[in-house]
Amino acid sequence: MKTEKLKGKDLINVGIFSAIYFVIIMAIAMLGYIPIMMPLLCVIGPVLCGIPFMLFMTKVKKFGMILIMSIIMGIMMMLTGMGWYALVVGAVSGLIAELIYRGGKYASSKLAIVSYGVFSTWMWGNFLPLFFNPDGYFSTRQSFGQEYIESLTNLMPMWMCPTLLVTCFVFGVVGGLLGKALLKKHFKKAGIA
Amino acid sequence: MRGSFLQVSTEHRGLVFDPRTKLLLLITMSTFVLGGIAGEKLSFLLPCFCVLPFVLLLTARKYKTAALYFILYTGSYLLNLLATPHLTGFPAFLVLGCAGILTRFMPSMMLAVYVVSSMTVSEFTAAMQRLHLSEKIIIPMSVMFRFFPTVADEFSSINAAMKMRGIAFGGKNAGKMLEYRLIPLMTCTVKIGDELSAAALTRGLGGTVKRTNVCKIGFHAQDVIAILFCAGCFGFLILDVAGVL
Repeated sequence: MKTEKLKGKDLINVGIFSAIYFVIIMAIAMLGYIPIMMPLLCVIGPVLCGIPFMLFMTKVKKFGMILIMSIIMGIMMMLTGMGWYALVVGAVSGLIAELIYRGGKYASSKLAIVSYGVFSTWMWGNFLPLFFNPDGYFSTRQSFGQEYIESLTNLMPMWMCPTLLVTCFVFGVVGGLLGKALLKKHFKKAGIA
Repeated sequence: MRGSFLQVSTEHRGLVFDPRTKLLLLITMSTFVLGGIAGEKLSFLLPCFCVLPFVLLLTARKYKTAALYFILYTGSYLLNLLATPHLTGFPAFLVLGCAGILTRFMPSMMLAVYVVSSMTVSEFTAAMQRLHLSEKIIIPMSVMFRFFPTVADEFSSINAAMKMRGIAFGGKNAGKMLEYRLIPLMTCTVKIGDELSAAALTRGLGGTVKRTNVCKIGFHAQDVIAILFCAGCFGFLILDVAGVL
């Protein structure tokens, strides 16, 4: 079963959950225009998206589904103008997440939570230009006003870069636990998970 | 709610572009306007990009959306222009924030609305197959595009139902807002997804044979113009990076 090829149904499942995931991410990302919320995106995003993702995990039974979702997220970020960083980070973190979940033969719920934590780190990719190319990044955001740029620069010193990566992972795990709890409460009874 | 504005009707479509051209336009737009790669020297391109979605919406006969875009964009642009010198501190932050976000995101958002609302799923699939992308990316992507209107639809219905039960901001059960919205949303999208995959399987998706597609896609005069426009933009960018300009 494990090495079976991906079928249409699996790919459709990937598409459906990518759509839900992306809608939630976009809704949260809109909060990023309040400067203080910018680093908090790494907290809110992984926690909230844990709910759909843990449900997605129950549908994952074959190699590649998590990786494809991660790559699609990267492509969508590119289409919405966040640059190619998320695609690169997403391809790597998606592969690692996939391998972790595969280690438990796609059945272990503990590994699913860890795997979601790793998957969440693709969001970190969106922040990379802030650290490595701040001038270029802010030149595109002049229209937001000087106050926005200043407060964001103060919020994002260099040490935030690894911190955000860890934050993504930790709150990914928290989101995974939350998703797991809600899964137990609602979806098991309804016979979906 | 069924006939939402993102859904595609194949009649009265006006000028039809090839799906690949639309995707190219979308990528160009997001690189230049959202990604803001264009520096000082290329700022003369920005007005073109702002007019582009307006023209495209007109060619697709989406007059209402085009008018809405025009009003919102000019409004926020004028606000930005007139109010900036007179404001400081928090109000400036607020006004500039709103206007800045609108002027920055509206063009790309409207282009995305145009692309999604004027492209059928089978056209998209046909275009992706011509680009020789793997099925593993094509199927999830096309399902995803097909699904955005559904998610939005379901969400607004659930929202209305929950408001009636008092689970909203200012209601007595505000704490349950999130759980009571996300869970039903996922339950019903999963059900819809199951139905969708059953429907797709009966149409031969995921079979071993190569699927055929009746959509006639191809490049016409309008596509050539659009592609030349995109190529020109990227050409300027390369010249700029190389330091010629």
